Amino acid sequence: MAMARRYFLIKIVSEVPLVEQQFNQVMTESVRRYFGEFGLARIDPRVIRFDSQRSEVIVACRKEGAQDLEAAMALISEVSGSQMALLTLRFSGTIKSLRRKKREKHSTPS
Amino acid sequence: MVGLTLPTGLMQDRVSLLRRAFHEIGVKTVSRVDLTATSRVDLLRLLRRFRNSYDVIAVKCVNQNVAAVACRDRRVDVVFFDPRNGKVRFNHSLANLLRCGLELNFPSTLVKGADSAVYARISREVAIAREHRTRVVLSSGSLSAQMVRSPSEISAIASAIGLSAEQSRRGVSEVPRSIILRNFLKRSQEYVEEGVKVVTPSAR
Repeated sequence: MAMARRYFLIKIVSEVPLVEQQFNQVMTESVRRYFGEFGLARIDPRVIRFDSQRSEVIVACRKEGAQDLEAAMALISEVSGSQMALLTLRFSGTIKSLRRKKREKHSTPS
Repeated sequence: MVGLTLPTGLMQDRVSLLRRAFHEIGVKTVSRVDLTATSRVDLLRLLRRFRNSYDVIAVKCVNQNVAAVACRDRRVDVVFFDPRNGKVRFNHSLANLLRCGLELNFPSTLVKGADSAVYARISREVAIAREHRTRVVLSSGSLSAQMVRSPSEISAIASAIGLSAEQSRRGVSEVPRSIILRNFLKRSQEYVEEGVKVVTPSAR
């Protein structure tokens, strides 16, 4: 049976532009720092899509580690000396519903 | 709703200007003051002076005497501790005395040069709060826009540190709301004292 996963849509707020590899490194380091090697294996975070133009990323993790991943990303405050924040915009059980939620949000009149 | 932590010396017209800026974009504001006193007498004087001027009174506990008074006093809404201050820490006796909420500022205390001693101390305080079922208020405690986090993120951090799922959920929703609503009621014209209020003909 396939492992249940959760998908996060994340907005990168950073003074310097990030590339996918940098983002991956920062995220992995944060998870390792706060939850250790076993935590990293349990959460198993992976970058699914990286949109550098919109500064948005879709990250997948195991279902049981979703809250820990959210915490680890909220605790990231800087990357190579400059300030950075990762804001969780949405999270969902499938990429499809994540995109649907995002579309619905953009189409809702403010 | 946004809580504005205001310095005590800020002029009233500046406060109104600040509040109007939020009101114009449809955000309600709540005024809050952080009181720091070094002695019991100082704290009581500050509480007498500022209780009626602000919606929320928070006390930074800098030593054990101040912490004991702040935890016991009904005029205090939330108390908070600096995890880097070795003179005072949230312990079982303070948890028993506590009448108000305990504020935990998570991302700010954890990311700014925090070492293992700070983490150990925060997790000990969280364990005590969990054991005594303390009313916990969770906040990002940020000094810059970059450090502001969403309620769900703060709640996730609290759960990761060891707070129960219910406490961390209530810490970003029910507990702060109940403090604000209680203070609005207390500061209203009709309020006389606990359980007593003037019922005007218009209210009927």
